[in-house]
Amino acid sequence: MLAYAIRRILMLVPVFLAVSVVIFLILHFIPGDPIDNLLKVGAPPEQRAEMMARYGLDRPLPVQYAIWLGKLLTGDLGTAIVARRPVADLIGQALPHSLLLGGLALAFSTVVGVTLGVVAALNKDRFLDRAIMGGVLFGSTLPSFWLGLLLILVFAVGLGWFPVSGARTWSSLVLPVLTIGLGGTALVARITRVSMVDIAAKDFVLLLHAKGLSPMRIQIRHVLRHALIPVVTILALRIGWILGGAVTVEVVFARPGLGTLLIKALSQHDYPVVQASLLMLAMAVMLGTLLGDLLQAAMDPRVRGALS
Amino acid sequence: MTSLRLRKTLAAAGISLAALFAGHGFAAAQEAVFVIATNEVGAPTYNPIKANNLNIGTTLIFDRLVSQDADLSFHPWLAESWEEAPDGMSWVFHLKKGVKFHNGEPFNAETIAKWLELFKASENAYMTEAIAKVEVVDEHTVKFVMSRPEPNLLYNFSSSYLSVVEPKSYQALGDNYGVTEVYGTGPFKMESFTVGQETVLVRNEDYAWASPLAKNRGPAKIAKLTLREIAEDSTAFLELKSGGVDLLLGVPTDFLGQVKAETNLEVLTLPGQDVAYMPINVTKEPFTDIKVREAAAKAINQKEILESVYGGVGEVANTFLISALPESKVDPKYQISYDPERSKALLDEAGWKVGADGVREKDGKPLKVSLWTQSDSSFRRLTEVVQAELKAVGIDSEITTFDSSAIRDQYKSGNQQLAVRSYNWDNADIIDWFFGGDRLGYPNVSMFNDPKAEELRKVAMTGSKNMAERVKNFTAYHEYVLSQFPMAPIYQPVTSIAYNKDRLVLPAEIHSPSVGATVIMDMEVKE
Repeated sequence: MLAYAIRRILMLVPVFLAVSVVIFLILHFIPGDPIDNLLKVGAPPEQRAEMMARYGLDRPLPVQYAIWLGKLLTGDLGTAIVARRPVADLIGQALPHSLLLGGLALAFSTVVGVTLGVVAALNKDRFLDRAIMGGVLFGSTLPSFWLGLLLILVFAVGLGWFPVSGARTWSSLVLPVLTIGLGGTALVARITRVSMVDIAAKDFVLLLHAKGLSPMRIQIRHVLRHALIPVVTILALRIGWILGGAVTVEVVFARPGLGTLLIKALSQHDYPVVQASLLMLAMAVMLGTLLGDLLQAAMDPRVRGALS
Repeated sequence: MTSLRLRKTLAAAGISLAALFAGHGFAAAQEAVFVIATNEVGAPTYNPIKANNLNIGTTLIFDRLVSQDADLSFHPWLAESWEEAPDGMSWVFHLKKGVKFHNGEPFNAETIAKWLELFKASENAYMTEAIAKVEVVDEHTVKFVMSRPEPNLLYNFSSSYLSVVEPKSYQALGDNYGVTEVYGTGPFKMESFTVGQETVLVRNEDYAWASPLAKNRGPAKIAKLTLREIAEDSTAFLELKSGGVDLLLGVPTDFLGQVKAETNLEVLTLPGQDVAYMPINVTKEPFTDIKVREAAAKAINQKEILESVYGGVGEVANTFLISALPESKVDPKYQISYDPERSKALLDEAGWKVGADGVREKDGKPLKVSLWTQSDSSFRRLTEVVQAELKAVGIDSEITTFDSSAIRDQYKSGNQQLAVRSYNWDNADIIDWFFGGDRLGYPNVSMFNDPKAEELRKVAMTGSKNMAERVKNFTAYHEYVLSQFPMAPIYQPVTSIAYNKDRLVLPAEIHSPSVGATVIMDMEVKE
């Protein structure tokens, strides 16, 4: 198991390098550059070249990449060109907000998703099952941008229960958490339901029934426990997704966070900021996947056995 | 834990939770929340010397030497009066007495000398390059010795980039100046600043040196002002509607109808500083022929666009400059207006005859051109109308849209033929920026590089001794550029401000080109 974990972690190194190359190249191939955003009306024509040189943007791309990677490996994320401050500061300010929002949204979709999945499984093929599964499917297909505005209209403007936007009070978290969380609920509910139905048909469950255990006790103590293994894996995978999924939601709710930072920096071609934020999101996905695999190995003796 | 203690703890937690939830939307007296214009969102610093983008907060934290009225005329502020030498080679400024910075430092002639020195090593050095030397005449008098006459000096001193900073703290704070701390002489002090989120400003109680354009001679009436940054227009509008904020600086035309439909909201309209126009690339066939350029320019029906695209809000543009500028008052024969008959006649003359499908042809080649614009919906809508109007005289144009952050790079390729874009500026030197022969591609999207224009440009930019001469020279430069049809002017929008009239009282007359310190000094929160 330990050897497996170490091997998996080592495998992240080449993936990390590949991701960093892709991010760097895609960004630099987008037409435009940050200097356009720094030149004001009246700036003398030669100032452009001076500024390109100052930020090292006049060097060949491989050199720029090597410099960036070299600094990155020593923990230096560089200085934002347009935002004019250390990238680490910008990310340091944004990340806690994104983690809080993403974490709460993940918790919401887990609790609600698992609950709905269990209820649906217990009522398999009955009206309640169909209503729940239909409902969550509908919820998950709504674009988060639109859902966010809809929730603002109903609960902030109409009912006045929550603030429209911002991050000044805890209550301002409710609507963005719902917006992101509702999208994730469908997947969790579906997997919980399928997995429970699947486990319930296994021989050992039949044996438990034969032994005379109460059906409720069988479902919760035995079936759900087994059924949760794939759910946990999916949840770990979603850690990265949640951070990335918050991008548009943060903008709609005018909240600070990686998404707001990324969108602004992208429109200004502020390379160091975009590179660092994208790398952050990619890392979250990679680590989430790793965590999911390790958790699955830890929980499922069959996987564990196959590895050793 | 006893049950009593548990109950007490729970009650305390409940109360603090309730306080947290109630904390929104119940601003105390003379506290207001404004949403800044979307183009100012993300401005990284309140450091006027190094910044390339400043938000409205700059005008509240700092004062300037000169203030500008809505008609763009110049008025005193921190400078009580000034004299210009007849040859334009020196200026004397008499400074207001008794002014002090937020950190207690006095404002005097010495301040001006040190402050202007700070520009030398910065990217904005060009803004003060005409000032060769600053002489301190006495404590409140300063003389600028010029390297060349610069009639634009008053304009520069009224610009927010020439907001007067406190030189000592500027040097002590380095890169943190304008980010963590900032000291000006303005009516508000910065309490906190979170880039991209909000700036909290508190009233400067000592303030007694407002521009004479403001009625209020004492400290501002608003005690605490929060400037929020909301990138999404719909969210900003819903905040205003729900009472979460009191004023939006800059409402997109799309939302005006909705704002007007709300009984508690009011729209304030200010003359805009934008011009929408259609650059014509003079180096690309068929526009190398001036007749075809004139034909395309005169195919644009400015009045129809004003009515159909903008619902009559704003003004038509017949020159390259906003109509508030004296240099926009060109000889009427240089104005570019809709004239479809002239347009068609010119195309006939140039050899482009109407073909079977209404598209003109010459030597078997159809008159087909590209029309570029940015992908924002407002530009797309305008460009579609332009396309239809070109079609009406027989020019078939194909629209290509680019992301607004990428289109400049596309222009640099020089492959554009026609484009629809807009600029925002309130000085005639914008002609130099967009038509200067050394800036081809971008900003000179028209690729216009004409020897006579370059001559007139040089005279206009650096060869005027005083303001009257500068206006004359720029008008001549402007007229010549218009006569060559490197673009077609289209439309001048207005700036719309929306506010909650149950919460705010705005001054009856606005004595400022935009909402800034002068206007906010006279604003009041209803109690």
